[in-house]
Amino acid sequence: MVYSEECDFIFRLKGILEFACQLDNPNGVQSQSTISKSFQDLRSKVTSKNIVFTVCNSPVLIWPNTGFQSSVESLTEASACGDILQWIESDDGGSKKSSKKKDKKKSGPTVVNMKLLFEVTEPAGNTAPSLIRVSTQQHCVKMPLPLDCALSVTTDERLETVCTGLVEALNKQLADMEEVVLQYRKGSSFLVPQPFHFQLPEPAGLITVVYPAGVPDSQLQAVREDLHRKFELPCDRPYLRRANAFHFPDAAYKDGYLRNPHIHLNPPNIEDAKLYLVQGVYSYHHYMQDHVDDNGWGCAYRSLQTICSWFQQQGYVETAVPTHTQIQQALVDVGDKEPRFVGSRQWIGSIEVQAVLNQLLGVTSKIMFVSQGSELATKGRELANHFQTEGTPVMIGGGVLAHTILGVVWSENTGQIRFLILDPHYTGGEDLQTITDKGWCGWKGPEFWDQNAYYNLCLPQRPKSI
Amino acid sequence: MGRSYFVDEAVEEYLVGIQTAPGSCVTGLLAGQSSPQRDFVVLAVQTPHRESEGQPKASRGVSPLDDIDVEWVTEHAKQVSRMLPGGLCILGLFLVTPPELSKDAQNALKRLIFAMDKYITKGRLWELSEEDVTDQVTLHICSKTKKTVCKTFDVKDPKSSAKPADWKYQTGVSSSWPMLSCSVAVDVQIPMTGSSSDITDKCMKDGLRRWAKQIEAACCLINGRHALDDSELVSGQKKNPKTTHRQTLPARIFVSDAELDERSSALVQLCSGSVKVRGVVHCRAYIHNNKPKARHAAQAIKRDIINTVCSRVEMFLEDLLINEGSHKGLCSGQQALPRRVFAPVPVSGLSVCDYMFPDESTADVAERLKEMLDCKTPEEDIDTSLEGNQLFSNVCGSEITESPSDDSSKHVFSEVQTENPKNQKAPQYYAGVAITAAVALLATATSLLYFNE
Repeated sequence: MVYSEECDFIFRLKGILEFACQLDNPNGVQSQSTISKSFQDLRSKVTSKNIVFTVCNSPVLIWPNTGFQSSVESLTEASACGDILQWIESDDGGSKKSSKKKDKKKSGPTVVNMKLLFEVTEPAGNTAPSLIRVSTQQHCVKMPLPLDCALSVTTDERLETVCTGLVEALNKQLADMEEVVLQYRKGSSFLVPQPFHFQLPEPAGLITVVYPAGVPDSQLQAVREDLHRKFELPCDRPYLRRANAFHFPDAAYKDGYLRNPHIHLNPPNIEDAKLYLVQGVYSYHHYMQDHVDDNGWGCAYRSLQTICSWFQQQGYVETAVPTHTQIQQALVDVGDKEPRFVGSRQWIGSIEVQAVLNQLLGVTSKIMFVSQGSELATKGRELANHFQTEGTPVMIGGGVLAHTILGVVWSENTGQIRFLILDPHYTGGEDLQTITDKGWCGWKGPEFWDQNAYYNLCLPQRPKSI
Repeated sequence: MGRSYFVDEAVEEYLVGIQTAPGSCVTGLLAGQSSPQRDFVVLAVQTPHRESEGQPKASRGVSPLDDIDVEWVTEHAKQVSRMLPGGLCILGLFLVTPPELSKDAQNALKRLIFAMDKYITKGRLWELSEEDVTDQVTLHICSKTKKTVCKTFDVKDPKSSAKPADWKYQTGVSSSWPMLSCSVAVDVQIPMTGSSSDITDKCMKDGLRRWAKQIEAACCLINGRHALDDSELVSGQKKNPKTTHRQTLPARIFVSDAELDERSSALVQLCSGSVKVRGVVHCRAYIHNNKPKARHAAQAIKRDIINTVCSRVEMFLEDLLINEGSHKGLCSGQQALPRRVFAPVPVSGLSVCDYMFPDESTADVAERLKEMLDCKTPEEDIDTSLEGNQLFSNVCGSEITESPSDDSSKHVFSEVQTENPKNQKAPQYYAGVAITAAVALLATATSLLYFNE
């Protein structure tokens, strides 16, 4: 989730185009050219003078294919794209310029949402209305294509260039969709082509890939391998699974869990120390969520859920985050616990966490044992290495408590260390302010650990797959 | 607190001037525009005389009120409502009776008003919104004293009772009403799942309804400004009764192509064919100038767009049926839909419209305007220039004569002379007076209710 330093804006254009065609014989040789012709018509439509971009939450309409016209006089060809902001009403009322509260840290690029529309007035000709009837038996195919194009730009980029770029992106997306439709078509069965955006490491940046709906990621391995080669991406970790899709900064997460609360914290300022953090995205799981009252016994389960959410959101697994019951059942299934374990309020530890990760997610983990809490301060190197290579959240259990470690600040020279802790014992609601202010997600020193208790850490390993 | 009807003086003149044979009743329509605060009546038309076929019906009931031909009144209302541009609609009925029948007039009016509303709104492709006024006005006039009694009924509630309403005459009620106009390119592809006329009708209705929903949901600019929220329609014109200049506001409509549903595969139907409705239609709507909201204006023009396409397809299919008689339904190839023409109503200057079949002339239109709207319009005032009469060429699948085979002319609206309609397998279009057509239609109405639920 590191944004390119240069990118100030993301212009996102969404719209629906209906793909329609009539096939005399879906299995015949003609059908492919009929389908291609329909896509060609759609591409013409998108480059015609009738298309209009409307900027959401604003009175601005732009005609990109008529030498740039807009419905607002002050926005012209020469306008910088940042000028558009003054016209957009943000959700809490008032224009963006007067937003009062700034985030503690840089909040990422501003997303400008636009919608694709077609003008039906001001027609080019004046043909008389008529009915045209075709009476041959045909398969009528109708499919709404969910167009979704995104462009990352800097604030001084001209609005006109952005719009031209979006029209090109629409064209390209239609061509990609045509390819996907033709490739996965079986007779008269068509799969809807769906675009997904991915933020790749520079220089690729924000790209869009079209995948066929209903075909699971596991069957798209070859497609991803090609793309990994094309974009020179490492071949051992996923970048292009659907779960890896770019999360636009202005979109809320539908499931209501907080994502990466730690990014709102400033790391401690330790001389000569480096920061080693969890990579990617996880959800914060804690006591009392999902109507499960696990206050007092569920902390390790919650840490495990946080870890599972990480594997899901990085695209390694498609299974949902397991419930307490599912976790307990998994332990019964591997023979670690008796059947009456399910439904109980028994604690689990790192070993059980390791077992469940293996059983439900196919993920292996390393176990690190510390005979006393005071020793944890000496584990800086191991933890730093872990976050550098694997970058997964770490579950730590000991004494009577379980926590999740999300990173360390560690100095190789002085040995000074701080731990970034995500605490599953929080019983409140998903209130970021409280969670960060009260330290439910926060940086702790070595004194945080029970100096005399022994601890086990579960360090999950990334599977090597894409 | 009843509704207030502001009525143009020209309507007063008309109503006062109605001749009634002694002891008989006259029915008629009232047309205008409703707004949440008040209503405006700009036109009154008495029900035309029905040329009865065969034997005149003997009086059925005890009183002339029972003899009112409800079917005929409602059919007239439907024809007239097709002739009204957007923003204007049938607001109610009037009934002139001799003094001795005044007592029973209210019941007659109630029956009529409910029947009329039901008939007119059948087959309509757009839904009423919460803000739409559902009251219809009934005006009773005593033929001797010319005294008027004005009441309203909420036609959405079958149990509603008459509520009193104000009826006030004013000069130039609509003289400063701005007129919105636009030309709209229509291109609707409708799959046909069968060839019987029932199925054809249902498919046409479903297909047009989908298109109508797109129009209803469309973004609208009026005179260059978004018609959003509660902003007032800014026509830039000061309200001055002396000004007879009526402003024309261009409207622009922007649609989103389709609704996204969450399916992961395409919708595929095996069809016995398809029908395309294609061409450019000209649309108009009026909006009152008593602080109208922009979105009401947008709604008026959108409804006109939907109505004009729907009306012509209905008329075309009705006409086909009268002519063909059989259930052959539509034949292959391209057939022209009736063309919309506009004519001014005397005094108020508002336009009304009519639809001309290809083999008709302005003389036929003038005759219809006289019969249906009781207004004499000189033929030269009938504006036929707003819609084209040249058909689209390059029809797929049917015989095409000399169409260019190069792909450079991908642009849809290539204008080709089709004076010589050898491309069309056109049935004989019905020529004649509208009334006779309407009578013939009623005769077959029992089994041929188009767009029937």
